[in-house]
Amino acid sequence: MTASTRALPSAVRNNVGLTPAVSEGPALLAGIAEGPGLRSHRDRLGPAPTPTAEALVEMARDVDLRGRGGAGFPFAIKLAAAARRKAVVVDNAAEGEPASHKDAALITCSPHVVLDGAAAVAHALGTREVHIVVPSDVPSIRLIVEKALDDRSVAGERLKVQLHDAAPRFVAGQAQAVLQLLAGRENLPVTAWQPEAVKGHRGRPTLLSNAETFAHLGHLARVGSAGYAAHGTADEPGTTLLTLRGDGWDPEVREVAFGTPLEDVLTGAEMEQPLLLGGYHGTWLRPQALPGLTVSRNAIAAAGATIGAGVMLPLAVGWCPLVRTVALVDYLAGQSAGRCGPCRNGLPAMAEALRALVLGGGPMRRVEELCGLVVRRGACAHPDGTARLVTSMLKCFPHEVDSHSLGTCRSGLQEEIE
Amino acid sequence: MSNDQLRVDWPACQAHGVCAELLPEIISLDEWGYPIVNGTVDRDVLVLAKAAVKACPTLALRLIPAPPRHA
Amino acid sequence: MTSILSGPALWFANRGTGFVLLLLLTLSTMLGVLSTSRVSPRLWPRMLSQGLHRNVSLMAVTFLAAHVATAVIDTFVDIRWWQAFVPFSGTYKPLWLGFGSFALDLLIAVTATSVLRHRMSHRPWRAIHVLAYAAWGMGLLHGIQMGTDASTSWGAAMNYGCIAVVSVAVFARFGLLARSKVVTS
Repeated sequence: MTASTRALPSAVRNNVGLTPAVSEGPALLAGIAEGPGLRSHRDRLGPAPTPTAEALVEMARDVDLRGRGGAGFPFAIKLAAAARRKAVVVDNAAEGEPASHKDAALITCSPHVVLDGAAAVAHALGTREVHIVVPSDVPSIRLIVEKALDDRSVAGERLKVQLHDAAPRFVAGQAQAVLQLLAGRENLPVTAWQPEAVKGHRGRPTLLSNAETFAHLGHLARVGSAGYAAHGTADEPGTTLLTLRGDGWDPEVREVAFGTPLEDVLTGAEMEQPLLLGGYHGTWLRPQALPGLTVSRNAIAAAGATIGAGVMLPLAVGWCPLVRTVALVDYLAGQSAGRCGPCRNGLPAMAEALRALVLGGGPMRRVEELCGLVVRRGACAHPDGTARLVTSMLKCFPHEVDSHSLGTCRSGLQEEIE
Repeated sequence: MSNDQLRVDWPACQAHGVCAELLPEIISLDEWGYPIVNGTVDRDVLVLAKAAVKACPTLALRLIPAPPRHA
Repeated sequence: MTSILSGPALWFANRGTGFVLLLLLTLSTMLGVLSTSRVSPRLWPRMLSQGLHRNVSLMAVTFLAAHVATAVIDTFVDIRWWQAFVPFSGTYKPLWLGFGSFALDLLIAVTATSVLRHRMSHRPWRAIHVLAYAAWGMGLLHGIQMGTDASTSWGAAMNYGCIAVVSVAVFARFGLLARSKVVTS
């Protein structure tokens, strides 16, 4: 799998200050070497596809297209629900997860792949109203999208596109938080009594999806189900974008076909380290679980993990997974919107209890109790995801936890725990 | 036969605890005063559940009817 | 018949209902303030505060209706029925009567929204409900200035007592009782 590697032109930085490398890919990231311009995009791919809603739903069902925002919801269901009068399309590129850069990479290297998808969906739904949510802490994304939209409107595209700046927070990309932003209120979650595809922005059917999902839709509408299934497996056709080492020293965004063995994605050294799969709300896997694992929703779920938004964080050599988790939970606790009592109180308490467990011999019982207390008791899944991370740490590394309670660290971080 | 469900509007809930007073059969309070809903609402406690919904000072409790049975 | 209407009976009834109304509104305000706190009461369930607040308020509304009715029907002082509802439109002590009318209007809004609380969203309901404080204050001033009883020792004592009760409740709620275990946003 050779491809030209190209570093993003200071568009995206991870939280260590480095820009991820992006390689050419088989579908969404094909042709990025030719640049992000509209002319080369049209030369390569032709005009934006204009499928009907029925055709798009059928294609999405054929290839079991799932949302790429992390929840993996079947897109066909969402599209069918929203295919009613006065629908609204929302392209969510907020990407609040610090270790994820795929949406930023996609927009920076190939904005028209995303916009063709949004245009195709808008056409299918019979609407011109498209909203695009961009991250306010990566200002170049907004500029790139604005330029791309300008070029498209000069070329004749007639869409009413509005851009919105997502707050620089972890929960800013959550669906209800995005709807609040669109309504001019604070970009934080509220309780949803109906799915937004049924009743969302201004009470209208709202098709809100991740930027990468729209890119897949555009590609799917162009090449059809058979063409889409040229990559991937029979059960999971297509490709997906991964962010590797997203908050580390050598970040990378890569497009891989489903079914690709993990050892083709990670380095040999990384295959011998614990892996945090799915991002900060994801699940730990021991290195023993990695050989034979493929980039596949089903295979990863069978291993007890979740693919999430394609974020893969191998633990750096010499680091301790427990201490890494403590740092992540501290961060996640600070990222609570503060609107729901169990999250606002429970996450800081969980961070404190976890720190006590990992660094000071505190009780595991308390950590488990708090994990149970915060789940499904909030307007969004932030506490659930945090509890998932902690629970997976406890499940994956029981010997390490024991060692820590005895005052030693198997990864050799002696000073941290004394 | 499936029962009605009690759901909390979490941003609206201010931990007044009136719901737990009215319906201790189903609602208990966590260490910060927020409700834990244990189980669904069957016919025995339906009246109490409706009273709890009405009594919440911030209207943060809702009774979601059970989905209609399909023949 | 006319003697009842012009004699002192209605005048006494009006003053009497006025005093009871002040007491009930004061009690209701105090209960309302305290029921917003989240202090966990071991011997005093929250439902009790809420229930008492509602019942005392309903009693107050009844006495309010009687107070307004006796004022309008009584022919000794000329108060037309619309002057009870339109503030400062009266001919007899228009300013202080107007305070009473204003308080009446506010309490009508508070009562109506509270009866319909479940059919409206919480924030607008609360915005209107807070006006009850203003209604209490205006009612108090109206009472002090309209009659002659405020200058008596028992009248003055009652007025000061009502002010004290509400003040203590407010300070308790926002001062001492605000210290609760729950981390608030």
